[in-house]
Amino acid sequence: MASLSPRTPSSIARTNSSQSERKASWTAQSRNPVSQRLSKVLGTNFDSEDTRQALRTLSELYATTSKGKEVQAPTSGPTQPMVLTETVPGELAARARKNLRRDMELQLAEGSRKFLQALGEVDTKLGALQTHVAAMRTSCDEAETQLALTNESSKLLLERAGNLRDERQEVEDKKTIITLFLARFTLTELELQALTSRDVPIGQRFFDAMDKTERIREDCRVLMAGEDGSTKAGLEIMASTSTHLEDGYEKILRYCSNEFRKVGRDSQLEVSPVMKQTIQRLRKRPELLTEALSALSETRQATLLSSFIAALTRGGPSGYPRPIELHAHDPMRYVGDMLAWVHQTIAAEREFLESLFGIKSDGRMVGSVRNFSSKAEEEEWIRELMDLAVGKLCVPLKAGFSVRVQQTVRSQESNIVSYKIANLLQFYLMTMRRTIGEDALLSTTLKEITDVAYKVFYDSIEAQSQTLSRIRFDLDDPSLTPPNAILDHSQILREVMQVYQSSLLGTEDEDEINAGFNQVLDIMVDPAVQMCIANSEEKMKARPRWDGQVFILNCLCYLQSVLSTFEFTTQKRAEIQKTIDQRIALLTTEHSDNVLRDAGLWEVAETCKHHETDEPLSRLPSTQPADLQRALQRFSMWLSGLDVVHSPRLSHLTVQKMHTQIHQDALVRLAKEYKMICEEVKKPANRYEAAATLLGSERPFGQVHLLWQIFGLEDKEEEEESSDEGEDEDEDEEEDTEEEGEGEGDSEESEGESEES
Amino acid sequence: MAINDYEADATELLETYDFLMKYIVIGEAGTGKSCLLHHFTHNSFKDHSQHTIGVEFSSRTVKLGEKRIKLQLWDTAGQERFRSVTRSYYRGAAGAILVYDITNRDSFTNLGRWLADARTLASPNLVVVLVGNKSDREDDREVEWAEASRWAAENDVHFLEASSLTGENVEAPFLMAARAILLAIESGTLDPEKAGSGVSYGDRALRRVNSSSRLSFGSLSGSARRRGGAVKLKVKSWIPGSKCC
Ligand SMILES: Nc1nc2c(ncn2[C@@H]2O[C@H](COP(=O)(O)OP(=O)(O)OP(=O)(O)O)[C@@H](O)[C@H]2O)c(=O)[nH]1
Ligand SMILES: [Mg+2]
Repeated sequence: MASLSPRTPSSIARTNSSQSERKASWTAQSRNPVSQRLSKVLGTNFDSEDTRQALRTLSELYATTSKGKEVQAPTSGPTQPMVLTETVPGELAARARKNLRRDMELQLAEGSRKFLQALGEVDTKLGALQTHVAAMRTSCDEAETQLALTNESSKLLLERAGNLRDERQEVEDKKTIITLFLARFTLTELELQALTSRDVPIGQRFFDAMDKTERIREDCRVLMAGEDGSTKAGLEIMASTSTHLEDGYEKILRYCSNEFRKVGRDSQLEVSPVMKQTIQRLRKRPELLTEALSALSETRQATLLSSFIAALTRGGPSGYPRPIELHAHDPMRYVGDMLAWVHQTIAAEREFLESLFGIKSDGRMVGSVRNFSSKAEEEEWIRELMDLAVGKLCVPLKAGFSVRVQQTVRSQESNIVSYKIANLLQFYLMTMRRTIGEDALLSTTLKEITDVAYKVFYDSIEAQSQTLSRIRFDLDDPSLTPPNAILDHSQILREVMQVYQSSLLGTEDEDEINAGFNQVLDIMVDPAVQMCIANSEEKMKARPRWDGQVFILNCLCYLQSVLSTFEFTTQKRAEIQKTIDQRIALLTTEHSDNVLRDAGLWEVAETCKHHETDEPLSRLPSTQPADLQRALQRFSMWLSGLDVVHSPRLSHLTVQKMHTQIHQDALVRLAKEYKMICEEVKKPANRYEAAATLLGSERPFGQVHLLWQIFGLEDKEEEEESSDEGEDEDEDEEEDTEEEGEGEGDSEESEGESEES
Repeated sequence: MAINDYEADATELLETYDFLMKYIVIGEAGTGKSCLLHHFTHNSFKDHSQHTIGVEFSSRTVKLGEKRIKLQLWDTAGQERFRSVTRSYYRGAAGAILVYDITNRDSFTNLGRWLADARTLASPNLVVVLVGNKSDREDDREVEWAEASRWAAENDVHFLEASSLTGENVEAPFLMAARAILLAIESGTLDPEKAGSGVSYGDRALRRVNSSSRLSFGSLSGSARRRGGAVKLKVKSWIPGSKCC
């Protein structure tokens, strides 16, 4: 308002119009202070908003009526616009210019008065307000105090509530832990019941409870092994679970024992999974397992024994199959049936025990618990139980054997039957040993019985052989074939060998096979050989014309032929062959002497061999030319006879080959003797006048090779002759001849060998 | 634990049975008895089979319809020299598998003797199944199927041809015998409760029997025998060559 400087509109207009003029003369008048002052005044700008506002207010104040403009007089009361009526143009403006100040002051005063009045009212109102505010402040302070108090007290509460909440959480945690702990370390009522009550059968529920108890103890042990050491709770848990566990084991034991007593009475057994599991569990309590198995074993022993007795005496349902005893008169069948029954029982029993212990027969464990499944231990159990179970059968078995079999065999005195039985027993002995072990009672009993059976057999063949040795030959029986006693004896031997052959399993080696029969051969063959030789020698003394040599060879060859069907007699045959060879050598010497005699050359040859060198042969009695001539004549005649190809004596030999061989050997000797004679005769020292003529007068005309031809032996012998001639002196030749005469085959072989070496 | 449980289950499957039956396998040496059995128990051909010495034991559990049957099998030696031993094993057998070799006529012509032995020595209810083995050697056949079939009919025995080499019909004779035996039990001619019958109840059957009537066959027939009427066995026909265990 201070800047409001009222100016007349004309001056304003002038000022406005002069502005442009001033601008034009600006430069010329600028240095003049007056002009400067003037220009300053003139330069005052009224074109500002404030100025315009002020002017507008003014013009409103002095507004003309025609223009509806009223100037309100600053009077109190209702404002009366100054209605000024311009009667003369410009009059109003002049007046306005004159009264402006006053008008203004009036107006201002009026305004101030109104202000005062309004402010007075405000002041009164403010006073009242202040009173209210003061009152409010008091209340607020009061409220604040109250609030502070309340805050104070609720903080405690909150704190307590928080604490309580924390406590509750803790308690809850504890509760969870305790529940978990209890769940983990104690048995539920149901579980306890399962373990201890007789009303809960052994089954999954029971096993689970057992498992849990075991686990609790295990966990507890682990906990107590920690830093804190054993706690009271831990000890308590261990103590109570220990009791429960033992209760459980006791329950298992009761179950097993009962079950075993019950099912053990069946002839065929099956193992339920529950039973199998109980056995597996009991393995942790060996003493209880032993007790349970003892119960089983007892029942099984009794059961098997009564089944066996039933099979022996009663047979199957309504008597079929027939009782075994029904065939007691047939000891083979009786023994066989008994042992087959036992064998089958063993197989079934073994299957039962294998499944009880959870082993498969091929050694595969089925559904077994990992930890304590050492198969060896189970095998040991099985072995022992088997031994016990079938051990009881030994009594009736042994009784049956000694009462029935031994008696039958003795009464029948049949060596074959007793041998068959012994072999059958031996067969089962092997079978049982494989199944239940060598030391099992059944095995040892069977061994005993088998030994007895063999003894019975050996006794019987011994007795048989003894009867042989008591036999004396009929002196007047001219026959040269083996006597009936030998034939009968051989028949028995043959059957015995047959039995032995068929008892072989095909798994034995040669030594075993031979060893198994040598005793029989010694007992049966040796006495027969001795009997033949001894008896023959006696008979030969009494009956010199009876040809004991041929007889012995016939007997020996017969025995040999009996043995030769079986390979396991090789050793005995070799022994006999030795005797035969000796006998052949003997007979060959005898025979060739005879042949030499029959051929008429015996004496000539003897003289040739034994004469003194200084005495010519032609001077000696039997070799004088005339005698020699006669002898050669006789030889020639003999050569044309049948005896050359065939010896009546040897034709009694049952073995044709032997006949041929011996006779040939004799002919060879004969040829050699003839050759020797020829050589002697040709020797000048022996003083034969016409040696060649003498020898050439009769067949074979002094030609040895011709003789070989006649004997059908030429080629080989001639070759040998020539080689002999080249090497040997007279004396050697004599020895050679004798040797060859004795046993042609042998000496030939030995010569061949020595030549080679 | 889980593995153990599983194993226990497997064991149970393997071990429990409703019936136990004793069989003998007989016939001339070399007809393939041991091979037949080996194929039956091991599901493979037995190479280099040697003559059986005496008798040999094996066992296997088979399924026939709902029934599990454990077979105790006695393989006998065919060689004459073992006859006195093997004859003792006939007693108390419920079934006999009589084997001949289709390429060996003698093994067929001797059957009469084998059957007579079996009938006199075993229980009178003995079920006999005749098996013409080596059916794979068709070219060397010496015994016609028809002829053997006639013989079987005349002698009242079951018959089929098999090959232990290829495995054809190897299980069938054993199942055939088992079925016939079950029928005999059902009809009352055979009593598994009696010793020496060659058959006995297994635990599985016993449990079932105990839980109902002693006379009932449980699920075997679905109805108690004493309630009368002809009871038919519900034995499903088997598939030859199908395997159990
Ligand atoms: N091709 C053929 N050969 C077979 C068959 N079965 C067995 N064989 C052969 O026949 C022979 C005798 O078989 P085994 O099973 O030992 O005869 P086995 O009847 O038991 O004889 P023993 O034990 O002496 O009574 C063996 O060489 C087998 O390989 C078959 O089905 N086909
Ligand atoms: Mg065999």
